[in-house]
Amino acid sequence: MATSKHAEFIGRIKKALGHPKEDDQRMAEFFNLPISENDRTILEHIKNRTPEEKQKLFEVLIEAAKPINLNVIALPDVSSVTSAIVDLVEQKEPEWGSKKSVVAWNHPLIERLNLEEALSQQDVPVYVAELKNEEEQSSSSSDERKRLRQQIIDSYIGITSADFCMADAATLVMRTRPGQARSVSLVPLIHIAVIRYDQIIADLKELYALLKWDPENHKEGLTNCMTFISGPSKTADIEANMVHGAHGPREVYVYVISDKD
Amino acid sequence: MTEITTENYLSEAKRAIKNQVLQNALADLQHRFGTETALAYQNLPEGPELRFKAHDIRMHTIDNLDVILDKLAENVRKNGGHVFFANNGKDAIEYSLRIARKHNVKRVVKGKSMVTEEIGLNSAFIESGLDVSETDLGEYIIQLAGEHPSHIIAPAIHKTRNDVGKLFSEKMGIPYITDPAKLTQAARKALREKFLAADMGTSGCNLACAETGHITTVSNEGNIRMATTMPKVYIAFMGMERVAARLEDHDVLIRLLCRGASAQNMATYVSYIGGPRYPGQADGPEEFHLVILDNGRSRILADEDFREMLCCIRCAACLNVCPVYGKIGGHSYGFTYSGPVGAVVTPLLVGINKAKHLCLGETLCGACKDQCPVDIDIPRMLLALRSKLAEGDSVWGVTPADRKEKSMYRAWSWMISHRGVYDLFLKMAAFGQKFLPQKEGMIRWLPPPMNGWTQSRDMKPIASESFLQRWRKGS
Repeated sequence: MATSKHAEFIGRIKKALGHPKEDDQRMAEFFNLPISENDRTILEHIKNRTPEEKQKLFEVLIEAAKPINLNVIALPDVSSVTSAIVDLVEQKEPEWGSKKSVVAWNHPLIERLNLEEALSQQDVPVYVAELKNEEEQSSSSSDERKRLRQQIIDSYIGITSADFCMADAATLVMRTRPGQARSVSLVPLIHIAVIRYDQIIADLKELYALLKWDPENHKEGLTNCMTFISGPSKTADIEANMVHGAHGPREVYVYVISDKD
Repeated sequence: MTEITTENYLSEAKRAIKNQVLQNALADLQHRFGTETALAYQNLPEGPELRFKAHDIRMHTIDNLDVILDKLAENVRKNGGHVFFANNGKDAIEYSLRIARKHNVKRVVKGKSMVTEEIGLNSAFIESGLDVSETDLGEYIIQLAGEHPSHIIAPAIHKTRNDVGKLFSEKMGIPYITDPAKLTQAARKALREKFLAADMGTSGCNLACAETGHITTVSNEGNIRMATTMPKVYIAFMGMERVAARLEDHDVLIRLLCRGASAQNMATYVSYIGGPRYPGQADGPEEFHLVILDNGRSRILADEDFREMLCCIRCAACLNVCPVYGKIGGHSYGFTYSGPVGAVVTPLLVGINKAKHLCLGETLCGACKDQCPVDIDIPRMLLALRSKLAEGDSVWGVTPADRKEKSMYRAWSWMISHRGVYDLFLKMAAFGQKFLPQKEGMIRWLPPPMNGWTQSRDMKPIASESFLQRWRKGS
């Protein structure tokens, strides 16, 4: 049934356009084109960015982050990120209850932070947004998924990494994978993203070139949810007054690790 | 379909002009966004000329919409999503109700969407017994008040903090407060409960991407991310024109959309959503549906004069500079789309005669075109609509709006092309005007049928001696 509507619908558009050219010919103008010289140059440029250019990019990021109240902080190594997070957990109070808990992605970079151990002194549990039970993974309403959902809702800090960070508008780019739930960067009051220095790229042009033409990125594609995050949630719907934390996080911290390992 | 009150344009406009609160809000909005958006275009690495490139991209897409939509549907399905092509609002509503019933949905959370406003999805859902919550703060305020949005991206611009405080205290049972931060917090709490309890989420679509099979949603609050992440079913609604072929088109269009809408380099959240949750993922909807809506758009597409209007990405930049919108506000336009975009789109969707005041009311100053992120020539289309109103049009079913006006102009054009008659007219008019009420050398009142001209202004009288006469005298 849906298919016949589809054909009728597209047919009506075709008629409205009254096109002289063949469909295939027009398709070929838009899709499955070979890489352009421009995109090739962009990819080369990303690969061969000099340390000075990288430093420049980081400065652009810092400047772009200021007006949108995004906290971008460069730290020398993993252990200094851990202590920064420990400090945040100590200073910040939860929004809905009194019990503090934290939820984090299952991600190699986050794993190296050893958060569970670091936060155990404050008696703050660290949940990992990962389904462990293979059999239940496909079931639509598994108990494990329900439990994880509740843990994310209960947590007041969500810790993620990101695929990229675009400097020109201070934008985190995050794709969704098993263990890397999208709600971790959305439901908790505070979002912390931990990235490496070399994940910073310039802008959308570079991102789209990577997604389309870099073999590794192209293989994975955009996933079923790719999200750009530029700063904390905000609204200006009451007398145009800007307020943070409309529905998403009220504060966002990006820790950029600058070590080379 | 949502209620259409375009016939009340004149009376609603009069009422809006007298509403001082609204006047202040509109002036503030335009002062802020009008200036900042223009500056944001200036600051683009490519400069404001990027808008011309965006126009070409949009136009080229619309010119090939059949193959591009086909590709989008193919790729969304490849990603595991469902695609439904809806000829009209009724089709779209029936389909979404069917999905709701199938999943035994009770509670729906909605992200802001003009297209669902256009088809009246809310009221249809409520009539079917669903509990529907708007979740954009502005839309939530409007829903609580039982009104319609008055601006595409700032729907509650006509409400003061006191209005909102009163509304929240009445409807949510909280103490009366007026601090925007505290009011926002109250809404955050109420809506968080709704997000977590909802079985179904819906949203619009800012711009789909055909080559990847994703839709894109743009928001600052995070409500659309919530609505697309937490409930088990998600339906996205898009007007059939809201698609781009490739990611590189998005590079141009997303940047311009964010600048046009709110002078931002990037909105807080931009999400590419393609398909349901995969096995192993902890969240995301079990089912993803995309409803692609025609509802009169293919008719616009078929008319070369108006096809360009389908380039519109609904950012509302034109509202923020329009001298008419800036005075009469969104409600006067009597339908979902207000401002310059509404003045063209609404007549084409609901009927040119029915919505004639909308296109007659604009000034043709061209500010909308200059501020449009995709450089749509709105004044040209306003003129095309007016010409249809003057001449009548069988394709659009337009009856000439004012035969009297037309015959008067015909007489005028005959007179000015006959020198002798024209001179005689001038002589008579110069004599006759002495009997009209005057003040400080200006005529205060003209008799019917010319009385409209002096309704809100005085006219300069005809000189006692014409230019030609003076020329001949050589003085």
